[in-house]
Amino acid sequence: MGVDVEGRRLTSVRSEEDSFERLFKAQYARVAGIANRVLVDPQEAEDVAQEVFIDFHRLHSANSAYAAPWLYRAAAHTALNRVRGRKRRERRELAQAVDENAQTMDPQKQAELNEDRRRVRVALGRLPAKPATVLVLRASGLSYSEIAESIGVGTGQIGTLLRRAEAALRKEVNRGTP
Amino acid sequence: MAHLNDGTLRRMVDDPDAIAAPDREHFAGCATCKARFDEMSADAKSAITLLATHERQFDADAAYRRMTGQPARPRFGFRLPILRPASRAMVAALALVVLVAVGVTAAVNVSNIFQPQTVKPVPITVADLESLPNLSTYGDFKWIQQPSPEIGITKAEAEKVAGFSAPDAKSLPAGVTADQITYAATAEVVGSFTFSAAKAQAAAAAQGKTLPAMPAGMDGSTLTMTIGPAIAELYGNVKAPSSGTSDPSQLQLPQLLIGESKAPSVTSTGVSTKELENYLLAQPGLSPELAADIRALGDPSTTLPVPVPVQYATSSQVTVQGVQGVALGDNTGLGAAVIWIKNGDVFFVGGSLKQDDALSVANHLS
Repeated sequence: MGVDVEGRRLTSVRSEEDSFERLFKAQYARVAGIANRVLVDPQEAEDVAQEVFIDFHRLHSANSAYAAPWLYRAAAHTALNRVRGRKRRERRELAQAVDENAQTMDPQKQAELNEDRRRVRVALGRLPAKPATVLVLRASGLSYSEIAESIGVGTGQIGTLLRRAEAALRKEVNRGTP
Repeated sequence: MAHLNDGTLRRMVDDPDAIAAPDREHFAGCATCKARFDEMSADAKSAITLLATHERQFDADAAYRRMTGQPARPRFGFRLPILRPASRAMVAALALVVLVAVGVTAAVNVSNIFQPQTVKPVPITVADLESLPNLSTYGDFKWIQQPSPEIGITKAEAEKVAGFSAPDAKSLPAGVTADQITYAATAEVVGSFTFSAAKAQAAAAAQGKTLPAMPAGMDGSTLTMTIGPAIAELYGNVKAPSSGTSDPSQLQLPQLLIGESKAPSVTSTGVSTKELENYLLAQPGLSPELAADIRALGDPSTTLPVPVPVQYATSSQVTVQGVQGVALGDNTGLGAAVIWIKNGDVFFVGGSLKQDDALSVANHLS
């Protein structure tokens, strides 16, 4: 009897681990992509993606219906929090100085691109979490219904939230323009 | 007909067909809505341009191998401070400082007993820990009844060792089941500490420091501390660390830990409450902030301090089972704990939980 219980438990653990591996491999690129949308730093984006998956694995079953929306929102939130951290931002800007395009792009253009990215990410970091998340998820290619599931609102509200977020981003970016 | 709302117009930017026929008719003839649509469309395109990145191919297989190849992170949500080996002894010293500073200050003579009835947080920093004096140089400690924890025993055995019923969790958070509970228990632990002015001064002199003089009657006086008996219940798979692992941050801590202990008590033979408190708080190395926090605890004879490493965990005062308790951690689910005292027992509920879940378990404990 004890052996049966233990056997069932081990089977259940293995099954959960298999499900998590499937979830990881199915969603990793998208989760890392969302983080990279905010950070513009693939290496840090992969750090964020890993952190998000580990946190999910600790607390939830990989078979949860909400797994993917949870991961998308967590990736956006975690990356936005990192953008708000001044030291990390400075480090990232240094990393961006050796952007993948640096070898082929005119140094003047590269400098302008870096400055634009910095300004946009600073503006994004100043927005409240919800509009910033909506913007990042939409720019990462999520559908209205996927965004709605991720942030826990009705699909009908996404148009309004997007509109407000885009207007707020424009204002923030313009505010930071000399 | 009223103008189209922002949500509908914005949706049209992404999907021109996602609009009901009456709205389409209105839009076709409304300059105001068209102007708003143009402005939204411009903002939407601008946002996409601003947030554009070079598309990367992320290798999920390689990332999975990297992640599963790493040592496990601590299951308990608090990040452990990285202490130099020399500092780790200070952590033990801290326990003694707090116990002595608060518990013993209640003891005027042997008949006075420290019996905490409530808990309060004492914020500490790594700098506090590293600058604390080593209290073992202030006298001599000896066990009267050594700790003898028994781990991995049955519930009945744990109750026999402790002499009281194991706490019963009536409510468990999602993902935590009662399928696998590891019980641990210890009988009462008693130790005594005898102050020695000569030893304290000699140890201080060896470090080039001068200690304030011990108050009259303190030299040679003895504190007797009693802790437990206690029972701990560990929910989930409690793995031993892999061989060779000595890093405490790599321990696999349980999803949920519930503990109950008889509140600690202390007796003293001769030194007054105020003298002892003043002496301890005047020691070199104790930061003014920590001293102030200890002084601010209120009645030390009835308050058990909970050291909270401020750089690694947050704390708040909460009401648990109708009494005041201390909650650590937050609602991220990375880690939370609740500590409270009721009817002479200290209770602990913590683990890889949200604070709300920890509070719910605590409030339904019987």
